[in-house]
Amino acid sequence: MYLPDGYTTLEKLREAGEYADYDLFFGPNHPGMHGNFGYVLTMIGTEIVRVRPNAGQLHRGFEKAMENKAWAANVSLIPRVCVPDPDPNEVAYCQAVEKLLGCEVPIRGRWLRSITLELSRLGSLYMGMGGLAGALGHYSTMYLMMIERDLILDRFEALTGARVYHIYNVPGGVRNDAPEGWFDSVSRLLDHLEAQMPEYDRLLYENHVVWDRLQGMAPITAEEAMASGVTGPALRATGVKADVRVDAPYAAYPEIQVDIPTSGGGDALARAVQVRLDFAESVRILRRLLARIPVGAVHADLGNLAKLRVPAGDAYSKVESSKGEFGYYVVSDGGEKPYRVSVRGPSLPAGLYLCHKHLPGMKIDDVAAWMASFAICPPDIDR
Amino acid sequence: MTPDRFANQLARFFGDDARFSDKGGAQWELRVPRDRCLPLLSFLRDHSFVHLAFISAVDWPKDGEIELVYHLWSYEHRVHVFVKTRTEREKAWMFTAHRLWGQAQAYEQELHEMMGVFFLGNPDLSPLFLHNWHDRPPLRKDFDPKAYSLKAYTLAGLGLAPDQKEDGDVPS
Repeated sequence: MYLPDGYTTLEKLREAGEYADYDLFFGPNHPGMHGNFGYVLTMIGTEIVRVRPNAGQLHRGFEKAMENKAWAANVSLIPRVCVPDPDPNEVAYCQAVEKLLGCEVPIRGRWLRSITLELSRLGSLYMGMGGLAGALGHYSTMYLMMIERDLILDRFEALTGARVYHIYNVPGGVRNDAPEGWFDSVSRLLDHLEAQMPEYDRLLYENHVVWDRLQGMAPITAEEAMASGVTGPALRATGVKADVRVDAPYAAYPEIQVDIPTSGGGDALARAVQVRLDFAESVRILRRLLARIPVGAVHADLGNLAKLRVPAGDAYSKVESSKGEFGYYVVSDGGEKPYRVSVRGPSLPAGLYLCHKHLPGMKIDDVAAWMASFAICPPDIDR
Repeated sequence: MTPDRFANQLARFFGDDARFSDKGGAQWELRVPRDRCLPLLSFLRDHSFVHLAFISAVDWPKDGEIELVYHLWSYEHRVHVFVKTRTEREKAWMFTAHRLWGQAQAYEQELHEMMGVFFLGNPDLSPLFLHNWHDRPPLRKDFDPKAYSLKAYTLAGLGLAPDQKEDGDVPS
């Protein structure tokens, strides 16, 4: 433990004959905390001794609520499981339902799904990079990245009418075709984002404060990451080439080239760099998708979706979100409502398990940076 | 690895205990009795299924049973495996898997709270999400969210106002 000489309060504690520890509530209301989640940190001085996750303030009982809603109506509930990156939830749920129905999504529908998934990923990565910058005190970077994210939300508004929760997917495909000129506007947006990126690289990645703070923080090895259920950028940052888009391809990914860039190293800096590599790859994938857009219907005809009945059985479907594997396990008893839906979120392994390994010994001001480096998004812990 | 080869290998170690079926789309299902579940999970982890995606549970009141579903993934063979085991509904319990996968502790803690399954050997089954909860576990099929809301979130339910005939004013 670190004790500077002449630090009066701790001196007083020393005089008392023992170290006093105290509980510090990091969150639910804290600028470095995304969503109403928290850790109760047992501290000695400024150093963390023990950590207890304080979940439940955001719990909305989605899994239970989904059992009481029609199959298609659940799509309006599901994006709320992950606020910054909502589309993977819709797609994973719809794919699980389609698996049970044995229904094939038309190719243009799959294309539109992939395009919205990648746009959602870009928006979420901006939020992730901005959140990391904010956690390290670089607020201007955060605000600038929020501006870029807003431009992506504009494209979503033009496509779906909604900015944050798009409710664009339905079992069988997507709700509607893209309006006239939408693909061109996405193309122009990508030009703009790519042109802006060098400036953000200078602000965030070529900043020695960021390097000094993140280098060597909370390292994990590839074996440890795989054994703890860590997925997505945090896993790739340890050098493992794993990506659901390649390992179990869905939507338009079987027909599109997807590379898996890895940074390697496994510490918080490697995870931050991995997010930047994922961003560049996502832009490349979007360009490949936009280069050849198939024609045809955007959803399969399943009759009246409000009265959709799904054959009995169970299915699991997963999607690579910006934070890792989002999975939906759907059980049907043949009725008009799901029998059981359970959600696999990417944040739980780090948020509830690795915190016990990494946080003790850390300083308070590193906790927010640690959370941002693992892209912990509490809404999917607190479903 | 082909499904046939895997099923043969499995039969060598577990005989008739583990029932294998291929669900298609690189998803396999294994049904196993409770006392053979942990050895099977350990066997799978040593045979490249290193990723425990999560643990899920389904309540089947008609059978009087709760089904636990372990979702495993092999990065090597790119196969998803459901390991399903059942426990009786009254006094539901299961052995913990947290020595095989550390994060299983958190999934089990959640299932204990939400589904009422006790995990033998889990170091921490304290409540994580629910505050002052005295009702039955909320993900059980016989838990009625509407009746609970009327009891817990209306003045009449709390005994602070006279009973109302209609039940339409549930805050949603």
